[in-house]
This record gives sequence, C-alpha cells and structure tokens, in this order.
Amino acid sequence: MRNASETLELERALTGARWLTAARVIALLALAAVLVVFPQTTKVGYLLSTGVVILNYAVTATGWNFMGGFTGYISLGHAAYFGLGAYGTGILVVKAGISPFLALALAALIVAVIAVPIGIAALRVRGASFVIVTIAFVLILLLMFQSMGSITGGSGGLSLPRPFPDLIRTDHHRTFYYIYLGLLAVMLLAWWAIDRSRFGMGLKAVREDEDKARSLGVPTTGAKLVAFILSAFFTGLGGGLYALWFGDLDPVFQFSIMMGAYMVLMALLGGVRSLFGPLLGALVVGMAIEFFKAQYGDTQFHLVATGLLLAVVVLFMPEGVIPAVKGLFARFGPQASSIREISAADLAAERDAEEASKP
Amino acid sequence: MTVTLEVANLSKSFGGVHAVVDASVSFQPGKVNAIIGPNGSGKTTFFNCVTGMIRADAGTVTLAGHDVTRASPDRIARLGLGRSFQVCRIFPRMTVLENLLVAVKNPSLTGALGSAKNPTAIAAARVWLRRVGIDHLEHAEARNLSYGQQKLLELAGVLMGDPEIIMLDEPAGGVNPALIGRISALIRELNAEGRTFVVVEHNMELVMSLSDHVVVFDRGRPIAEGDPAHVQADPRVLEAYLGV
Repeated sequence: MRNASETLELERALTGARWLTAARVIALLALAAVLVVFPQTTKVGYLLSTGVVILNYAVTATGWNFMGGFTGYISLGHAAYFGLGAYGTGILVVKAGISPFLALALAALIVAVIAVPIGIAALRVRGASFVIVTIAFVLILLLMFQSMGSITGGSGGLSLPRPFPDLIRTDHHRTFYYIYLGLLAVMLLAWWAIDRSRFGMGLKAVREDEDKARSLGVPTTGAKLVAFILSAFFTGLGGGLYALWFGDLDPVFQFSIMMGAYMVLMALLGGVRSLFGPLLGALVVGMAIEFFKAQYGDTQFHLVATGLLLAVVVLFMPEGVIPAVKGLFARFGPQASSIREISAADLAAERDAEEASKP
Repeated sequence: MTVTLEVANLSKSFGGVHAVVDASVSFQPGKVNAIIGPNGSGKTTFFNCVTGMIRADAGTVTLAGHDVTRASPDRIARLGLGRSFQVCRIFPRMTVLENLLVAVKNPSLTGALGSAKNPTAIAAARVWLRRVGIDHLEHAEARNLSYGQQKLLELAGVLMGDPEIIMLDEPAGGVNPALIGRISALIRELNAEGRTFVVVEHNMELVMSLSDHVVVFDRGRPIAEGDPAHVQADPRVLEAYLGV
C-alpha cells in the first residue's frame, strides 16, 4: 500500500512531468516558428544561403542518426550516401535529361539499393571495424568519381542547370530553404515513428547490447540493415537536394571525410538519443562554422574551432546538449522517486506504526 | 509442452584449445536439467554453441525438430529457447519495463511498426515483473538496480519471450542466499508449468536439490549423466572434481 509521503512524491513527480512536457512543447513550437519565419525576415542572399546550408547540415545529421542514433553504429563515411545522392541526381539531370525532382527521387532510391550490399558487408563487423569500413567506402567512391571523368566530370566537377530558372537568386535560396525544411520535417516524423515502434525498440536494444538483443529474439541483422538503408536513403535525398540547390559538384567536397565527421559531431553535440538532437547540433555547429568562415575567411580556423567544440562536448556533455539540459532541469525540478532499499529505520517506523494501530 | 533439445557430436576449438569435444547430450523435456563440471570444462562454450552465440565446428543441435546448428541466436530464441548470461546482461539505459518490451515473441511486420509500448505488451511485461518481484521498479533505469534485482530483471526478460526451454548460465552466481532461494523457487514453479530448464551452475546444493537430470562435463565432453544421486556417486565425477 502506498503511504501518504509516497503519494505526495508521486503527485509532485507528475506535476513536474507535466511542466516539463509543456516546456518542451513551447520550445518546439518556438523553434519551428523561427525556422519557418526566418526566410521572410531577410532579403540578404548570403543569410538565406547560410540558412539552406544549416538545414542541409540538419538533414544530413538527422539522416545519419537513423543509423548512429538508434543502433550506436558510428558511420564516419556517411558522406558516401550524400555524394551518391548528389551525383546520382546530377548525372540523371545532366546526362539522362530527367526532370530535376524526379531525378532526385530516383537517385535516392538508387542510393538505397546500393546501401543493401554495402550494409550487408559493413554490418558484419562492429565498433571500430565498422567505422573503418565506412571510411574506406567513402574513399573508394572519391577515387572512382574522380577517375570516371566522362560520366562524373571528374575533378573538373559537374554543373547542373537550376531547377527553377525563372527565380532570382534570393528566391532560389528561399524556395530551397522550404524544400529542405519539408524534408527535415518528414525525416523527423519518420524518426519519431521508429523511435516509438517495436522495430525501434529492437534497434535501441542493439545499441545497448547487441548479443543480448539477439538472445531475446530481436532479428538484429535485418533490423540494422533496414536502419542502414533508411539512413542512406535520407542522406542521399539530402545530397540530391544539395546538388539541385548548389548546382556544382566536386568529388573532393561531396565524398569528404570531413563532411561525415560533421554529421557525427552535430548528432553527438545535440544528443543521438533525442529526436531533435542532430537538428540542434546542426544549428549550433552549422552557425559556428559559417561564423568562423565569415570571420576568418578561407583559413582552417573553423576546423580548429570545431575540434575544440567536439572536445568540450565529449568532456562535459558526453550525452549531448539535450540530455545535459534535461538533467539540469531535473536537478531543479522535483526529485524522481529513488530506488531505495528499505532501511532498518524504515522497518522500525513501520513496526511502530503497526504497534500503534493495534488496539 | 514437448519441445525437445538434442545435441549430437558437438565440437568447438579455439586455436589449439579444444573447448568442446564430440559432446552429445539429449536434454529431458519438461524437466530441470543441470550441466555441471570443473572450471574450464567447456560448459559455457557448449551453452553458447547451443544458443547460436558461437558457431560450432562440428555436430548438430536440434531444437523442436529444427536443425539450428547454424541458425542465428535470434532465430533460436524465436523457436522457443531463451537464455541468460553468465555475467548478468540487461539493457542498462532502458527502464525495467522497456527491458521486457524488447523481447516479444514472433513480431510480424505490422507488429514491428506498431507501438512498442502497447497495452497488451505492457500488461504481459507487468505479469512477469510481478512474478519475479520487481514490479515496483518498472520505471527505474535498469542500470540503477542492484545486482540481484538485475538478475531478476534478466530472468523476467527471458520469460517475456515465452520460451519453452530456458537455459540459465549460473543463475545463482554472485547473488545472496535469500535471492538464490527465490530464483530456485521460481525455476520450480515455471518448471511445474511445463517449461524445460537447462541450468549451468556451480552451487552444488542448488543443483542437487533442483534438478531432475544432471550432465557432468570434463575437458569438453560429458562424462556422466543421470539423476543427482546417481551422478554424485559416479567415480568418474569424483575424479573430475576432486582428482581422486
């Protein structure tokens, strides 16, 4: 039976939970409002294009998190799927003459198909070996796309026509900003749906202890592969959209380890276990990168700053910003009921109470 | 329940170490079977080969009529064999309830996309949590539980998959005597409901009081089997254990 103090504790915890939920909803609505309204507040092309770049980071980091967040398999080579999506779209538009957004969808599907054998091979190993396999794949693609000049344009790059030739530059950015935002919304919805599903529960079990999950009947091989393909598909969509927006592709930038590292950094910074973690990480890191680039020009300073940021996160907020902030709130909020063993004093008090109630 | 587990001529080596050598064991369905043997006698390797965690070099494992020698651990689990680990393994960052929700038998595609925290699954999980006696902790993060509570949680997780054969690797290892009593009572109850047990255990008192059928391993192979009294009197067993 629950005693009065426990009931009170429970009530307090529930009030605290309600308060937290309300705070979360307000924060989300505010973030969504800022993201939606932002392009309407400026006519400066640079700001709008920075907005697109940051949303592109958010899309790729969220795409990465379908694999990294759910299963804990850290891919440093996710630029591979971004590059394949970008080049796939570019080649379909330029060489095959397919309309831009159809090309984008086709390219993303092709990326998903390519991810099947890659996933089957890469997911045979875990931990550091998996990381190395993913890096190897992106480096192989870099060499391939550089050397297949007749199809990919090689080191000279590949230029795409603009999908909306009538739009002036600022409107071009604004339009793509909203397309990116739409894609991000779809991805967040998909991540949320997986997070609450049985399938997602299996993936999270893989993250915690893969062998244990298998021993409980979770079909881990298939589940990991599905997550990997989904992750590649969404990252590929991000890449394709980038190709249509930016209009100029170069293997060195599309298949770069740095880009994959950024995805990991952003997701880790925000918190890989949280739906909005990678988005928050992308906002922080993306703005920081753009700020340092604008401030210090074309130097490597932004890389140093990013490295420092990563070090700070790993040292002080290993779970990411969102869990750290939640923890801070929890510290000031009501205490969650602890798992306490019954102490001798508790037992004595219970006994006394029993004695007292006896006639 | 008539799910059978048979192991024939199983062998496994790690480099030059022959961990399991030509082991054939047929476990008695509906009974509590125990595997005992000195340290390093190959019990856990045998256990891991049977549950698919390690692939055997030779031999066959037949579960409910299916050859599962090369099957994945998750398929073996879905065929009705649940297991625990020697060093208790749980999902530390999940809550107690979530730990159980991971293990639901035979997920269909629609089931896989449905909510993990659906009322049916939660109700089933609560039944098992109540049965092992940790239902008051359902919202606690599993890593905050004491070792004994984690042992009970692991057992509840295995039971959530509704296995007909349950293999426990040292269920009494590292837990206090009161809890050993509780675990042994649970095993008895679940066995009375028709579930088969295969228990690897060093606690002889527990093995002898609990099991119907004992298999003794030494140097990678079963050297004796039978009811507890019979095995205890076997000179080969005394030799393996005491070197006499």
